[in-house]
Amino acid sequence: MVHETLAATNAVVTLDVAIPDIFWGWYVTMNMWAKSIGTGLVFMLFLLLRKNPDEMKGLRTSTLIVSFIFMNIFLLFTLADLHQPFRMWHIFFYPHWTSAITVGAWMASIFVALESLMIVIIFFKKDTATYDKLLFWITLLAIPVTLYTAGIMAEATARELWQMPTEAVQMILAATLSGSAAIILLGGSKLSDETKQFFGAILGLSALMAFIIYMSEYIFGAMKSEEVAAILHYVKGDGEYATMFWVGQWVAYILPMLLIALARVSKSSAILNLAAILAIAGLWVVKHIWLIIPQLLPLS
Amino acid sequence: MQLGFLVDLHLCMGCKGCEIACKVENEVPLSTWRLRVKYVDVGTYPETKRTFTPLRCNHCENAPCERICPVSALHYLENGIVNIDKERCIGCAGCVMACPYGAIYIDPETQTADKCTYCAHRIASSMMPACVVACPVEANIFGDLDDPTSNISRYIQDNRDVQVRKPEKGTNPHHYYVGASQVNLNPLASKREKGYSLFNNITKLPLGGHH
Repeated sequence: MVHETLAATNAVVTLDVAIPDIFWGWYVTMNMWAKSIGTGLVFMLFLLLRKNPDEMKGLRTSTLIVSFIFMNIFLLFTLADLHQPFRMWHIFFYPHWTSAITVGAWMASIFVALESLMIVIIFFKKDTATYDKLLFWITLLAIPVTLYTAGIMAEATARELWQMPTEAVQMILAATLSGSAAIILLGGSKLSDETKQFFGAILGLSALMAFIIYMSEYIFGAMKSEEVAAILHYVKGDGEYATMFWVGQWVAYILPMLLIALARVSKSSAILNLAAILAIAGLWVVKHIWLIIPQLLPLS
Repeated sequence: MQLGFLVDLHLCMGCKGCEIACKVENEVPLSTWRLRVKYVDVGTYPETKRTFTPLRCNHCENAPCERICPVSALHYLENGIVNIDKERCIGCAGCVMACPYGAIYIDPETQTADKCTYCAHRIASSMMPACVVACPVEANIFGDLDDPTSNISRYIQDNRDVQVRKPEKGTNPHHYYVGASQVNLNPLASKREKGYSLFNNITKLPLGGHH
């Protein structure tokens, strides 16, 4: 721990270059947020098939199309974030398999191709049996597609805040949170009250677990690592990042948890829908602040 | 062969000759740096001291930038240099995020990642890196770490206070410092106040990118 010696040494940088600005900004936040919804919807569709296949009827096509749209938003922002987007094909022709970026790009491409195939099968051929079989495989594929961003964050050795397996768990929870929220909104009258409450429970539990992990890192993270302590300093106290951090925690997790509890008591779909909207909106803020703060720290 | 760098901070006088030589040799664009010398002042007046630390790519044995690069644009040369193929780079900035030493930047002209290559092109022609040649006090010692008779190996053998930056990251840097303190090696050991940097009105360097 060197920062304790700062007062004694009074060490001050007197001549240096400025710190680089944030490299991975809101494009990458959009990437993570849209991917969570895209894969999360697939997870929820699979759960619905297992729990109550009768309610799949009106949701096979619409849910998959919404997932497909969000996966394409994710791919679009991934591409837009590249400084040389026209060289994206290098990932497929010069793949470097130790990189989570490469693995993720391949997995996500296969995922979207499979989604396209399923849309064709259900939309044009109305073949629900094949669709349901493929749903199992795409759900399996959705797991690495959800997780690979955590792999990238883990490989970002310079950013101590992003640890494995914490980030992997947070990615899965982001998918179950946003996926359940999205299917509640998409389901509308096609889902029974019981099924809606089931997805509400998934949303609430995902919010609770994610919130517990963030709070654990917020409170205990600084005790083990000097760099984490310095990074978390940005979200402690006042300041814009602290405000953004708490807005995210309230909107994504705390309020949806309270609203879901209220919806269970009052059996209100409107309150459940509000919880779902807040969770989806809040997730963007939560992901953004966690992406930004490690980049504020000088590395050299 | 395993090429490495050692900077004897007892000798460095902060002239920035290495910095300029690097800029010129490698045509490094404005607002980006492959090598820079950081000044940190220590103590309280009148008991003050100014320290100088040249900072460049560490050419790690276990380089996080090489591992995260999705297209092998960052790769090892046989002599241990971590080199970059700018034609292959897709500009994902994964390497920028992975390097614990902040040694990689996005070149605003080519929109690709770039960094110190130990002047790999000069070494291929049996020349020393530009910064080594420019140093007036021979504070930069460059050579083969696998050769026990090389200058750098003998320097490491003869000095007990040989250190690397952030050893806890497990990157095994091939860039060493003699005579360094925490203030030189750890960016968290010094305060960084606005108004005391080279660019008084600039607190954040531009990304050199499109957003």
